[in-house]
Amino acid sequence: MRILIAVVFSLAAQAAWAASALNVVATTASMGMLAREVGGAAMQVTVLAAPDRDPHMLQAKPSMMRALRDADLVVAVGAELEMGWLPAAINGAANPRLLPGRDGYFEAAAQVSLLDSGQAADRAHGDVHPTGNPHVNLDPVRMAAIARALAERMAKLEPAQAATFRAGAQRFAAAAEQRVPGWQAQAAGSPGGVLFHKDGNYLFALLGLPILGYVEPVPGVPPSASHLNNLTAKLKGQRGVILHHAYQPAQGPQLLASRLGWKTAVVPLEPAKDADAAAYFQLIDTWVAALVAAKG
Amino acid sequence: MFKRNLLAAALACAFPLSAFAASDAEVAALRAEFDQKLKTLQADYEMRMKQMESRMVPAAEPTSRTDKLGAVGSGSSFNPQISVIFDGVYYNDNKKGGGIEAMEHIDGINHSHDHEGHGHGELERGFNLRETEIIFSATVSPYFDATLNLAVDSGGGVEIEEAYFDTRALPAGLKLRGGRFLSGVGYLNSQHPHTWDFVDQNLAYRTLLGDHGLKDTGVQLGWTPKTGSLYTLLGVELLQGNEQVFASAGEVIPDDVLPGEGGLKPKYAGPRLITAFAKFSPDLGDDHALQLGAWAARGRQHQEVHDHRDENPAAKVNGLEGDATLWGLEAVYKFDAPGAYGEGDLTLAAEYLWQRKDLAVAFHQDNPAAIGLGRKFTQDGAYLHAVYGFAPNWQAGLRYDITGMTNKVERQGAADVGYEASDRWTLAVTRRLTEFSLLRLQASSANLYEDGDKNRVNQFFLQYQHSLGAHGAHKF
Repeated sequence: MRILIAVVFSLAAQAAWAASALNVVATTASMGMLAREVGGAAMQVTVLAAPDRDPHMLQAKPSMMRALRDADLVVAVGAELEMGWLPAAINGAANPRLLPGRDGYFEAAAQVSLLDSGQAADRAHGDVHPTGNPHVNLDPVRMAAIARALAERMAKLEPAQAATFRAGAQRFAAAAEQRVPGWQAQAAGSPGGVLFHKDGNYLFALLGLPILGYVEPVPGVPPSASHLNNLTAKLKGQRGVILHHAYQPAQGPQLLASRLGWKTAVVPLEPAKDADAAAYFQLIDTWVAALVAAKG
Repeated sequence: MFKRNLLAAALACAFPLSAFAASDAEVAALRAEFDQKLKTLQADYEMRMKQMESRMVPAAEPTSRTDKLGAVGSGSSFNPQISVIFDGVYYNDNKKGGGIEAMEHIDGINHSHDHEGHGHGELERGFNLRETEIIFSATVSPYFDATLNLAVDSGGGVEIEEAYFDTRALPAGLKLRGGRFLSGVGYLNSQHPHTWDFVDQNLAYRTLLGDHGLKDTGVQLGWTPKTGSLYTLLGVELLQGNEQVFASAGEVIPDDVLPGEGGLKPKYAGPRLITAFAKFSPDLGDDHALQLGAWAARGRQHQEVHDHRDENPAAKVNGLEGDATLWGLEAVYKFDAPGAYGEGDLTLAAEYLWQRKDLAVAFHQDNPAAIGLGRKFTQDGAYLHAVYGFAPNWQAGLRYDITGMTNKVERQGAADVGYEASDRWTLAVTRRLTEFSLLRLQASSANLYEDGDKNRVNQFFLQYQHSLGAHGAHKF
């Protein structure tokens, strides 16, 4: 009898162990993709921000608190991108595992070097992120480094699966790094482009292309007529393309494009909520294609 | 070394053997061609170097098996985090500046029992500096966070709006708050004026809870249980209960009426006010959000002194004592549109509040026989508002608020007294210049009853608000 009980218990424990996958919440779709690639099929990942919304502007909704309440790990982009809503949502979730500094809080931007870091913390320059540009998600090389760091974090939280996590990260990193020379070769010779917001900077740097200007006069401020006039005067006679997201108002980019004789391209900042690595690489393909088209 | 090879190659291209027998003109032409080719090569070389540099990025990234904890903090974030909110209005009304006072004297069960030391409402016609909020917050230790919120009025008076600690590490979705804080009841109660969508407080809150809402000293326990995809927050608060329009203790009867004695003593030690609230929110996806809530509060001691001798020298001073019960319901719906800068976003919020003060005469200036007679005060109120982002960074808000749909005093041994309901329509247009600055134009038209007479009060506000320092939270 006693043996039977012991067997039942150990079986139950094993079943529980096998089913135990980390409960992961990702702030954006790219981070969700990364968590699934690293974590493998068993990983339950909830993405908080809809991919077609501006990740700066969200509100700390009760449904976010609900998701964070039971999470073992939150994967954030960081560097203050989500500062309007993630701290409030974590606070409302009353889940001490996810507080910054604990193992349950992972910030992608903390794992890599950032562009534009060390700027003056002066809001005369708009809603600046003095720690550096947080939009690392469009840089497949940095995403590879982030995947490796994320694997280590997940391994810390669930040591039994460490090998799976490291293999997942390695698979993603290899796939990303293998594609980089191809993207660079395609984009070579493109004149570059104008961005709406400082969110394509990492990809432009990776491709070695110049950013010719920004539709926003300063980050977080909608374009003004005078700023578009200045931009037109500066870029007249040059070639390029204007890239923006569907959620950014199209009037400014279109006006600028018609004045310069350029094209605008609507490119997403984030893949779909349930994206896998292939969908993420397609997102980069879309950006590269838009830049290639600007070669004329 | 690579550069030298390139140069050699360039020279080889630029000086083919046949050129040695050339004329001056041909030499000049060749030199020009050489310069041109050199430039092309240099440009090509520079581009390749750039590409190589960008390809070298991976090597600069960490490849070791480490990951970094914590958040990338801002260069502007101090410990504690500090933010300051500036708030000013241009104000005018159709009562030669009497509109604000008319708000104070709305017929109802709480009128002229204002225990606030100051108000957001004291405005002159013309320019006004409203309260400047100064907020400090920081993590105290692994176990506590703390927040201080000071309000400095234009005369230099400082009031502690909130000063509380929160626990960080309690298990099972529990959170404890202690100190002085805005109660978690209702939807708007815990919001500071700078997060309101309108310049002023709604009539229901103003008359039933006070201009600041329900704010007291005590403890709050919040619990977020595991309830599947339904967000649930349950809370209970034990509050001192001596600063409220419906819960106060130790009221003083004027010296000339009752010399020496002081007046009504607190019967119970604190906490004398207990509240409980519940909020629920189903997960409706990325576009929609709904939160429903209910709350109740019970104050076991309330005292009032009625002294109307200023208005009527024949009036007799009397004191009342008893308890109070409140409850409320709330519903908030938000639509999050994919537009930038809040374009297309919609918020609908509605609340209903009900209050009863069950009192008895505890002191009467010249009629001791009245002592012990019951006085039951009942009043309710509601508001409904809609805020819509009609363009990037532009919002339009429409509000209807009403107080006193039920508005009566039931008196033992005397006739009941009833009051009319006062209501108001408000339109506000808000222009957010950036995340940190806004301008707001607000116009309202109210039917306010004072001593049974109806007054139409039209008010106009032009407000600016600026916040500096720490980035504020986008609360639901």
